[in-house]
Amino acid sequence: MTVRVASVGLGRFGKRPEGLVELAAEAAGLALEGIGRKTVDHLVVGTMLGHGPHGPFALLPRLAGRLGLESATGVRVEAASATGAMAFHEAVHAVQAGEAVRALVVAAEKMTDQPTPALTRELTAALHESEIAHGATMPGLGSLVSQRYFLHHELPAEVSARVTVHDREMASRNPNAHFQTPVTAEEVGASRPVALPLRLLHCAPISDGAAAVVVEKGRGPATVLGLGQGFDALRLIDRSDLSSFVATRLAARRAYEASRLTRKDVGMIELHDAFAPLGFIHLEDLGVCGPGEGPTWYDRGWVRPDGRVPVNPGGGLLGRGHPVGVSGLAGIGEVALQLRGEAGATSVAHRPKVGLAHSMAGLGAHNFVTILGETGG
Amino acid sequence: MSADAPAGVRLGKCMTCHVRFLPVDGPCPKCGSRSTEPYVSPGIGTVLASTSLEVPPPGWQRPHPLAFVEVEDGVRLLVVPEAPPPGAGEVVEVWQDGEVYRARRSARSEGERGEGDAPRVGSSRPPFEPPR
Repeated sequence: MTVRVASVGLGRFGKRPEGLVELAAEAAGLALEGIGRKTVDHLVVGTMLGHGPHGPFALLPRLAGRLGLESATGVRVEAASATGAMAFHEAVHAVQAGEAVRALVVAAEKMTDQPTPALTRELTAALHESEIAHGATMPGLGSLVSQRYFLHHELPAEVSARVTVHDREMASRNPNAHFQTPVTAEEVGASRPVALPLRLLHCAPISDGAAAVVVEKGRGPATVLGLGQGFDALRLIDRSDLSSFVATRLAARRAYEASRLTRKDVGMIELHDAFAPLGFIHLEDLGVCGPGEGPTWYDRGWVRPDGRVPVNPGGGLLGRGHPVGVSGLAGIGEVALQLRGEAGATSVAHRPKVGLAHSMAGLGAHNFVTILGETGG
Repeated sequence: MSADAPAGVRLGKCMTCHVRFLPVDGPCPKCGSRSTEPYVSPGIGTVLASTSLEVPPPGWQRPHPLAFVEVEDGVRLLVVPEAPPPGAGEVVEVWQDGEVYRARRSARSEGERGEGDAPRVGSSRPPFEPPR
């Protein structure tokens, strides 16, 4: 059964005073505005940390009550920082299976009310226990993977500033983005070290935020063409490859096969660039460019809104912000808006026919690829 | 830190397919054979990548060094090296300190330090073929 995105609701990312349920309800309200009074009979909610006065508990009935969806069914999902993508995939599966006619997917995260050490401990909990025992953190392991990438392709680490500069410029066009101002490569290089070669501006910020998408049976400019996901060993040293992500390649292959498309058909991309160098790695793992060619794509402007394949026109994780469980759904929502010609200020130069959203759990243990576009024939 | 601890890492060896691995318990991660034997590797390895966390988790000193090391048997380890951490390509001695692997520069790496380009180290996959 063919499933399409019927509407999208993206709230503002950043430091927000609202709580988890309020953020979720705001994004859901925006998405429901787009579909009028049509029945939503299924609710999929995603949150990784689930911070709030009630934690993540009974989030479904709380939200269903707020939205007047008491007659719907619901499920909550978690896949670390790919939670939002998993929530979308689950909603699509429910409609495809005929279990639901119209499903509302909501992802929400509240992060800025936590002290940074507590937040670090929680995000680190998504790592392997032996990595935790060695005092590893996400930026620490992200730094090691980035170095393996730079060594493998004989690239200087300084090229990663290009990803931040790009994302921040894109975010400055997006009124909902966490960061509203562009930065220069010099500012990135002068920001404080986090885990060299990663500096502060190479790392996605801590953000609150929510996103919502309604999916339903039917065709349109944002039809679901292919979904894919892939696992890799949770512990990095157990992986066959330390300089890129097998889980992305697996997810991409499955999504391309399901959609009967190739990377040449993709007209725009949303990447999970929680750390700047990962922008290059993901672009290569998705097959958009060859190994080691990512920096060239950023350097020559091929990822810009008027480039060969626009990337992260909404600002990506480094610019739009990174409410962890939301980013996967926000990327899918941004792709759908671009395909539907509803992206407004973040619109790419030429409305694409096919878009791809990539999402990564933790440091690449469970990745997702979502391909949306016009249905042919 | 038990800096005087002898170098050496407890690993498992598959008696069927001869792969060496971590952890020492359980079947062979490659072929599933239960015919495995523990042994102690000398713990001499090459740094694949290293960094220092400026914001370490609670309980660790700042900066907190971390590194990927490939020991001579082809097994990779995440280690807490001496500070400042040895760079990619440097040879280190790894030893076990409880559940933590620690590493220090090996006497064998003295001559290699300060070289310009870090050599390509570690077993990498063949070049990626884009999905069709």
